[in-house]
Amino acid sequence: MRLKIGALAASALTLALITSACGKTTNNDGGGSDKAAAVQTGNISYDANDNKGPAPAVTGATKGGNLGVFLPDGFEHLDPARAYVNVAQLTDQLIGRTLTAIREDGKSGLKVIGDLATDPGKDVNGDCKTWKYTLRPGMKYEDGTPITANDVAYGIARSFSPDLTEGAHYIQQFLAGTDYNATYKGPYNGGADLPPGVTVPDASTIQFTFPAPHCDFPFAATMTTTTPVPKAKDTKTEYDRHPFSSGPYKIKSYQIGNSLTLARNTNWDPNTDPLRTAYPDTITFNFTLQGDQVAQRLIADAPADQSSLSWVNVPPANLQATTVAGVKDRVINGQTQFVWYYYLNTTRITDLNERKALNYALDKDAVVKSIGGTAAGTPATTLLSPTVAGYKKYDVFNAPPTGDPAKVKQLLGGKTPAPLVLAYANTPRRAAQAEAARKSLQAAGFTITTKSIDPTTYYTEIGRKGNPYDIYLGGWGADWPDAATVIPLLFDGRNITPTGNNNLGYLNDPAVNAEIDRINGLKSLPDRQAAWGALDQKIMTDDVPAIPAYYDNNYTLYGSKVAGNLFVSSAFGLPGLENVYVKQ
Amino acid sequence: MAVPSAVPSDEPYLQVRDLHVQFPTEDGVVRAVDGVSFAVRRGKTLGIVGESGSGKSVTSMSILGLHNAARTKITGEISVGGRNIVGMDDEKIRELRGQDMAMIFQDPLSALHPYFTVGSQIAEAYKVHHGSASKAESNRRAVEMLDRVGIPQPQRRAKQYPHEFSGGMRQRAMIAMSLVNDPALLIADEPTTALDVTVQAQILDLLEDLQREFNSAIIMITHDLGVVAQIADDVLVMYAGRAVETGSVEQVMRAPQHPYTWGLLASVPSLHGDAEIDLVPIKGNPPSLINLPNGCSFNPRCRYAGRNGNRSFSEVPELRETGRPGHLVACHLSGADRLQIYKEDIAHAGVAQ
Amino acid sequence: MVRFVIRRLLLAITTLFAISIITFLLFFAVPTSPALVMCGKNCSPEQVSQVEHRLGLDRPLVDQYGTFVKGVFVGRTIGSGDFVRNCPAPCLGYSFRTDEPVTSILKRTVPITASIVVGSAVLWLVIGVSLGMTSALRRGTLFDRVAIGTSLVGASLQVYFFGLILLLLLVYDTGILPAPAYTPITQNPGKWALGMLLPWITLGFLNSALYARLSRAQMLETLSEDYVRTARAKGLPKRRVYIKHALRAAITPIITIAGLDIGASLGGTVITESIFGLQGLGRISVQAVEDLNLPIVLATVLIAAAFIVFMNIVVDVLYAFIDPRVRLS
Repeated sequence: MRLKIGALAASALTLALITSACGKTTNNDGGGSDKAAAVQTGNISYDANDNKGPAPAVTGATKGGNLGVFLPDGFEHLDPARAYVNVAQLTDQLIGRTLTAIREDGKSGLKVIGDLATDPGKDVNGDCKTWKYTLRPGMKYEDGTPITANDVAYGIARSFSPDLTEGAHYIQQFLAGTDYNATYKGPYNGGADLPPGVTVPDASTIQFTFPAPHCDFPFAATMTTTTPVPKAKDTKTEYDRHPFSSGPYKIKSYQIGNSLTLARNTNWDPNTDPLRTAYPDTITFNFTLQGDQVAQRLIADAPADQSSLSWVNVPPANLQATTVAGVKDRVINGQTQFVWYYYLNTTRITDLNERKALNYALDKDAVVKSIGGTAAGTPATTLLSPTVAGYKKYDVFNAPPTGDPAKVKQLLGGKTPAPLVLAYANTPRRAAQAEAARKSLQAAGFTITTKSIDPTTYYTEIGRKGNPYDIYLGGWGADWPDAATVIPLLFDGRNITPTGNNNLGYLNDPAVNAEIDRINGLKSLPDRQAAWGALDQKIMTDDVPAIPAYYDNNYTLYGSKVAGNLFVSSAFGLPGLENVYVKQ
Repeated sequence: MAVPSAVPSDEPYLQVRDLHVQFPTEDGVVRAVDGVSFAVRRGKTLGIVGESGSGKSVTSMSILGLHNAARTKITGEISVGGRNIVGMDDEKIRELRGQDMAMIFQDPLSALHPYFTVGSQIAEAYKVHHGSASKAESNRRAVEMLDRVGIPQPQRRAKQYPHEFSGGMRQRAMIAMSLVNDPALLIADEPTTALDVTVQAQILDLLEDLQREFNSAIIMITHDLGVVAQIADDVLVMYAGRAVETGSVEQVMRAPQHPYTWGLLASVPSLHGDAEIDLVPIKGNPPSLINLPNGCSFNPRCRYAGRNGNRSFSEVPELRETGRPGHLVACHLSGADRLQIYKEDIAHAGVAQ
Repeated sequence: MVRFVIRRLLLAITTLFAISIITFLLFFAVPTSPALVMCGKNCSPEQVSQVEHRLGLDRPLVDQYGTFVKGVFVGRTIGSGDFVRNCPAPCLGYSFRTDEPVTSILKRTVPITASIVVGSAVLWLVIGVSLGMTSALRRGTLFDRVAIGTSLVGASLQVYFFGLILLLLLVYDTGILPAPAYTPITQNPGKWALGMLLPWITLGFLNSALYARLSRAQMLETLSEDYVRTARAKGLPKRRVYIKHALRAAITPIITIAGLDIGASLGGTVITESIFGLQGLGRISVQAVEDLNLPIVLATVLIAAAFIVFMNIVVDVLYAFIDPRVRLS
């Protein structure tokens, strides 16, 4: 799960300050957003046109100026080995380059292309076990020294360190298994500079050899784990404060808790970069304002804020003000990769019909309204987010978003279901939401008691196998926009452990497990994606381990002088900055 | 150095005529003092006696002009050394205060400022009326005064704070402060109430000594008739803002004419009396000064009310001569009745009700 | 006096120790581990325990507490091998969340909170107290009524309401003031004051209202004291009675309350900081609790307690200076 700012620890205070939510949920047909394609595709593109620098120019773009970004509370980590929160990953994308990257234009599907590498990677033996990358010539760090394959390997090596655990662990686990740093612990304390399975035949070539096939490695290589780190510049824990630039921007000043200023890395050559246009001269992040202040300022669009955008959703209290002329066309509204489910604990609610009936009973519209309406989410019908490659639009139940009590009665067939426990994280937002859910389920004939859980222990509690709860909310976002980072993690019953589960419906259906294995073995990416979409629908038809409640929404503002590619990134769930410009 | 009085020396230094003091409040007008007249000559002492709420303290505050003009209505005349205080400019009264007339308060612990040394408080009282006096001079004067009122080691004591003094010493210091400018009129408001009996006697002796020395006119406000007997020349008994009996100490103490005075006398322990005799408090409470009873204000508490027709309940009794010069009483009982009742009920039994 | 201060300081240190122990125990009573938060996704139990080991959370409580105390007084080293970091005294550890030394977090946030508190305290002490005192002296006049009426409104307003209104009116709608922001006073005093103006006005106004009422009541009470009557009976001019005799006595209890108020606010003005987007002690302490960030929780709790204890001592010493009846022994 890609971590998302405020997913859990939403500032209780800010919420307390907000009066009542005044958001409206549009009465759509119960399916996903109309903006999203019925099927989302993601290609790994070897097309030379896609992979060549410079990046396609943005029509009408002008160079220069300062782009402002409002980001409450700032980053936890910018060290590429430790960045896992979407805002940090997006920012790292400006400072550092990765082996591969995802190109999006906000309209058609995604494309994985080569970033540092000339292409998304060569599957040497056709078995997805050995991947070879060739670095582009002429790439330089902020001090003018050349970027080498050794530095990429070193960056990956240091991410094995037990002292730098906060980042993504995919590549490490591909190389060394689940307990990736049980033996090799990175280059510190006398460890080798090359992690197991990585070879650097020459300064511009790096090769990965995995024990098992990983056909989606080009996706995994988009993680900041593959950012090059020159060994000489490795300041260990201090690196977090000043990652060394291999991208178009370098850190000019960074005051934690206050601001970050990025300035041009003059040694970056746009001709080597197929992804980033880097129009603004500087990018300034402001960490001191909270969501409501950011919204107020961007709504006001005062000259000082006209060239800024926000990386925090507009709070419900300010939504009304964003619907007026002059503001409504400065909203970036779209779904993120996050989907929120009401998991149905299949070990407790064993009757499939009852689980189906719960799907009909839940008033998703009310659930979304309770946290702010349209801006917060869109009622969902699928397990996969519309942003994820493999997403297939379907609706097994075809119930209106407000629920279908008649259908519930029919499914229950006159039986009175046993009382159910609905657990929720005890924050004002989640409590209000749980109450909305309880009301609708109760109205449909279920007996629901709610149980509040301390927000800091919420996921620990519901992640315990044999937990005493029947229904509970959980969110999941793909790490890269592919169904492979969603379905196997949430619904493969073989991964259930005594604690720390992600399979929160505790579904263990051999048919599903077998299908996961079959899909993972498929060679063709489009085949895999189509199969994931079908499996999504099959799980919701045959197993029903959850109620897909709503797709998480990004609803952010930008100033009137900000332009360019402004859309919600499918990969990050926020507007990316690499092709944004400031009107001059 | 008192300002030489403009009036001939045989005129009373203080003359109060038909004084009315009223406080308008939200509940109604409080008639704290309702037509009181009296006079005090230099060298003489007037004792004003009454329960709390009888108007004695309000009267003394009016003489010093300490009431807030905005919230008090004062009529009548208060003549101090020939100058009428009533309606006088606040700044002019201020100049008189502490200089021509001074006051000793009941509880010297609360009346002295806890944050300043005793010496500095006395010196301040001197300095304010002696603008040309230097600080050292004022301090010297303060020490001199402390010495004069019998405080040992005055030099050292002057530098101490009130809380470092004993009760009696504090009252002496208070007296020293009030006398620092040789005032012609000294008002002592229950100066000995807070003190134990032996100290009380010392303080009263001291006041008498000082009076002889400075020839001041003294008003001694008290509810203690024993104090009055010891120090006063004349007595004024007040009840509910009115004077009910006045005369010389001899007259009032030996032959009291008002049932209220009888009650007061009965409720006072006598140092020389028979300890076996129970003290008898006056039953009931003083009336509300907003809603005075009709007729004689004392009527609800007076067992003799109504002896003379209905007048006690309808008519306010006026101060009238009792037959002895200077002894006046405000009572509807006939002179004969009073004499008889006093003889039969009070003088022997010591019971007034 | 010196002995008194020393004794009180020793007592203060004992208090702080007790508070730190309680905070420690409370923190470990929470049935979840910060390591879970810090380990990325799909962390195996081994990796979680690795992180716990790195943070020292796997060691016995007494041991952890001992290390913490040692760090405060003599400093300590954190981490092992290549990652060993020397954390000089007073070492309060590193933030679990951002890996920043807690002392530098405090260095960053305390001046912000202190700027808010001290600046506004000057305002409310000057405005509130003088308004209240003047009201008392002019009791019943139009001035008094207007002042007391306004202060009633002020006293019933809340920071988050009044602050937001001011923000909206003065910053977003009219742009009269720049949006609040912190600039170190050493860097640019003018900019510092300008950036702090809005929180000052907000807190200053609201607290002025409270203190005006308090001062007025206190002054009225003092004016009815016997010694004030004595001062007037001495023939002192009004000004002297009010300023020398009444004010000094009336202000004493206000100093106590103000001292404790300031002490408590220095520990963090959560709401004010949140509204004006200032990253002070209050904001980080709330965030630390949400993140299970023990080193920051401990540090903020301790520093808040230290401010309160310290201000208590200051108040007591001031008291002794003002009121000779108070003896410091």
